Amino acid sequence: MKFSIRRSVFIKELNNVQRAISSKTTIPILTGLKLVASDEGLTLTGSNADISIETVISASDEDNGLAIASTGAIVLPARFFSEIIKRLPEDTFELNVTEGFQTEITSGSAAFNVNGLDANNYPHLPEIDTTDAIKLDGAVFKELISQTVIAVSNQESRPILTGVHFELDADQFLAVATDSHRLSQRKVNLPTGSSTKHNVIIPGKSLIELSRMIGDEYDQVEMRLSENQALFILGETSFYTRLLEGTYPDTSRLIPSEAETTVEFEAPALLASIERASLLSHESRNNVIKLIIKPTEQTVTIFGNSPDVGKVEEDLKPNAVTGSELEISFNPDYMKDALHSFGQSTIKISFTSALRPFTLVPTEDQENFIQLITPVRTF
Amino acid sequence: MDESQRNIIHVDMDAFYASIEMRDHPEYRHQPLVIARDPRTSGGRGVVATANYLARAAGIHSAMSAQEALERCKEAVFKQPDFTKYRAVSQQIHDIFHEVTDKIESVALDEAYLDITENKLDLDNPIEVGLFLQQKIWQETRLTSSIGISYNKFLAKEASDYRKPVGMTIIKEEDAHDFLMKLPIEKYRGVGKKTVPKMHELKVFTGADLYQLSENQLMHDFGKFGYMLYRRVRGIDDRPVEYLRERKSIGKERTYGQSLADETSVANQINFLSDLVSDTVQKQQKHGRTLVLKIRYQDFTTLTKRYTSKDFLPNDPKVFAQYANQLLEEMPDIERGVRLLGITITGLAPLDFDNISLPLFEIKGKDL
Repeated sequence: MKFSIRRSVFIKELNNVQRAISSKTTIPILTGLKLVASDEGLTLTGSNADISIETVISASDEDNGLAIASTGAIVLPARFFSEIIKRLPEDTFELNVTEGFQTEITSGSAAFNVNGLDANNYPHLPEIDTTDAIKLDGAVFKELISQTVIAVSNQESRPILTGVHFELDADQFLAVATDSHRLSQRKVNLPTGSSTKHNVIIPGKSLIELSRMIGDEYDQVEMRLSENQALFILGETSFYTRLLEGTYPDTSRLIPSEAETTVEFEAPALLASIERASLLSHESRNNVIKLIIKPTEQTVTIFGNSPDVGKVEEDLKPNAVTGSELEISFNPDYMKDALHSFGQSTIKISFTSALRPFTLVPTEDQENFIQLITPVRTF
Repeated sequence: MDESQRNIIHVDMDAFYASIEMRDHPEYRHQPLVIARDPRTSGGRGVVATANYLARAAGIHSAMSAQEALERCKEAVFKQPDFTKYRAVSQQIHDIFHEVTDKIESVALDEAYLDITENKLDLDNPIEVGLFLQQKIWQETRLTSSIGISYNKFLAKEASDYRKPVGMTIIKEEDAHDFLMKLPIEKYRGVGKKTVPKMHELKVFTGADLYQLSENQLMHDFGKFGYMLYRRVRGIDDRPVEYLRERKSIGKERTYGQSLADETSVANQINFLSDLVSDTVQKQQKHGRTLVLKIRYQDFTTLTKRYTSKDFLPNDPKVFAQYANQLLEEMPDIERGVRLLGITITGLAPLDFDNISLPLFEIKGKDL
């Protein structure tokens, strides 16, 4: 196996594939990067058993400067190899596998010799045996991920809660995540007939990596769902993730349909106030802040305190307040995460009682995005 | 002796959780009542938190599995514990304590030591203080308590245990020796299932037998505990009522005579310890941020590793076991043989708030 390539092109793809490679893995060969040179181009593969990423650099695209002298495959220690490539002196480099998986990397006057591993020992990528390819808008999908993934649980005791539940129907895509103290749900309408019925749970960690890869670069993402794997195709790159096993709890029944008290805020203004109040609540061992809502006076007041540091009280500036008077306590960090996900929009918060979950929706579009937060009971 | 100058009261609520439930549900009064999840609906899981005296007569006691309790008494009523309520009542009782003294050491929701040597009631006679407490607790909560009075904590606790329910026992210094001599060995604090047979082997059945053993022999056979027993049987206990003490950690550890050498037995013990710790954390109504795993190898090297969470860890044995197992992975080879395992939750705070959980996995029809 021998090829030469433009270094910047290679590094860009290497960075993507490396998202899947972990230095801590129980399968030693997975600390490596797999390279396959064929007549069509160069394939880079990385995997941590949960996520696998494969990308192809085409030999026919002149911009890649890829010249395959001989085909073949090798696995190279990923971290070390990438450090080398990033520090090579010239714009191009050449890679040549010689006897016993010895790999020469040369660029200008620099020459490295690295011990490689037999690519035949590298695990096979999962097979996705479905032709049902769901086309998603890259920016919308990225937004959906960022809005839901904040609510996944980081506790492995309930593994399915560490994932986001994707439910697809002919023309609707519903994503839900909850860690049992908060819940986030996003709906996206698909062009009719885009999908058949699907019901899967995708690990939150996988979605975070995927979202980073989508970046601003890919306008379209193709999603293929099988029994226990999902495949996302971004241009020449394939992103595989294992699915979480189990049945996701029925969350639709948890979202209250009625409200006793509602308030409307500009999300960024409320966020700033919550952040101020949490300065003190974070110093307290309870991390709780309290809202007092008085519709008759059209006021909402926020309280935070720390026995050691002091307290804070701030009169907020709601756009509207309706319903009954309410005093409610909650964890400000959940509120902050939720508010971040609303960006610049105006939001409506609906409460039923001090001990019931409350919801946040954008005032503009109350149908497709909802965040739910459970309050804190204080004794 | 300085000790004779102290007056210590030990207040022990009679079958506390069960009594509260009987007070609030009169229909339970004449039935054997067990505070535990009903094993018939919980799939046999759950542990008895307490039982009323009728259920105790059927051989049911706390820490027994709910399943076993059901087997012992088919007609027993099972009531799931409501710690929020018990905490509120305990607070009421503590308010009464504070009318007497601020030197209060709470052992659990239903049990406390009070140092009444000086008290706010200005009563010299400790029996009057005891009566005041017993009556006031009854008037305000309609619950009965048993009271032990003596000149140190050990004897005060033995005294409250002497006659229950609604008992009041005073052990004066001049009576202490007789009392302790007659006391069966299993009544000595800390002499449990493991120690009793050892004691019997040494022909020790009562305090009087224990009294015959030398300090050296007791320390030889029972170590630190022997040193303590030697003093206890002589009525000596100079531990103060630790009213300033706030519990910083709750931990459980076990030493294994036969070292654990494979992952399965270590995992089993981690689950077991997690259950124990979680039980105590719940009884103490606390929660903590940090979990510490302690491991001692066959060669006596001891390692600890800790995990600290940003938020309080939910009091769930599964969560504790999960983090303990994570920490275990960072410990070097357990094949060397593990002779001790311990799990501790620290960074404790009173559970004075509770982040409400969504009923994600609850049985249908049951709401928040």
